Amino acid sequence: MDSDELYSSIKGILIDQFEVDESAISLDANLYDELEIDSIDAVDLLVQLKELTGKKISPDVFKDVRTIRDVLSALTSL
Amino acid sequence: MEYTTVSVWCRIIVTWAPWNCPDNEQALAQFARIRRYYLTPRRMKYLDLAWRFVGTSLLWFFFGLIGLIVSVFVFPLLYLLVRDADARQITARNLIAAAFGAFMWGGCRMGVFSFRVTGMEHRDPDGGQLILANHPTLIDVVLLLSVLPQVDCVIKEAVIRNPFMRASVTTANYISNFEPADLLASCVERLESGASLLLFPEGTRTSSGRPLEFKLGAAEVAIRAQAQILPVVVDCRPQFLAKHEPWYSIPRSRPHFAVTILPAISVSKLVPGGLDERHARYELNEALVSLFEAELA
Repeated sequence: MDSDELYSSIKGILIDQFEVDESAISLDANLYDELEIDSIDAVDLLVQLKELTGKKISPDVFKDVRTIRDVLSALTSL
Repeated sequence: MEYTTVSVWCRIIVTWAPWNCPDNEQALAQFARIRRYYLTPRRMKYLDLAWRFVGTSLLWFFFGLIGLIVSVFVFPLLYLLVRDADARQITARNLIAAAFGAFMWGGCRMGVFSFRVTGMEHRDPDGGQLILANHPTLIDVVLLLSVLPQVDCVIKEAVIRNPFMRASVTTANYISNFEPADLLASCVERLESGASLLLFPEGTRTSSGRPLEFKLGAAEVAIRAQAQILPVVVDCRPQFLAKHEPWYSIPRSRPHFAVTILPAISVSKLVPGGLDERHARYELNEALVSLFEAELA
């Protein structure tokens, strides 16, 4: 799965399940400040991404993740 | 969507719940889904409102309780331990500032309100400044005394009679408004002796929806003492603990206090010289009102 596909599936998860406004989502949108996702929701996002890609971002890496771009680079660098 | 205090409780439940065993991650994810399902933004709003009501009640309960404890135990002890009246006054004011600081901290921690003070550098720590503030809410004096300890202020008769506060305000040697005739003279005297004095020129809390109205007393004190004026603008949005509003009326969103300490100005900067005292008083008052209104707009 390349990063474009990954981006659109993250976007889909955010819109469908986290009720995030589509217009608020961009590569540089901050998950915690702008998209109002808190640490418990972030774990859910992590689990769903794991199911989707079969890759597991370690919690240590995810701690430093702030934007959607960070999520993508964490997933592709594995 | 705002997850505030509720999310803290969620976290506590998640970390302590029995199903929080081997696969912590799966459990958390499941919990997040359940929470998103039940705690919709609309419900969160009501929960937040309810929580702020509980928080406000707790805050006032502790205010009374701490006032009582301090009056019954701490101040008698202070009288025994500190024999010098001046030292006692300083300690009493520090104690009051600490207690008020605890009140503000508690309110912020519980999410009842938030506050931010800017311009602390304009305050002269050596004193001698006439601090003038507008008075939108019941807790302005709590807020201001917690950030500006050691300032003098005028206390209304009812507070001195209040058993919860009597011991502390008399030991702190604040000015009483019991004798209106002496009030101006004692304000000027305190300023001239080098203390900073906090006054609310409105004399009472602002009536909402009405233009700002200052009583002439504050301007008179400023002119007589020729003191530096330190304007402090308190802006609370949305309206909270205002005049004619009971303490349990909780605004729809969390109130935020923006306290702006403006640069100190001398009386001569605000009124042209050569006016007789009555006109100068009036001019100074007008200048102050427009200064505050510009800041509050």
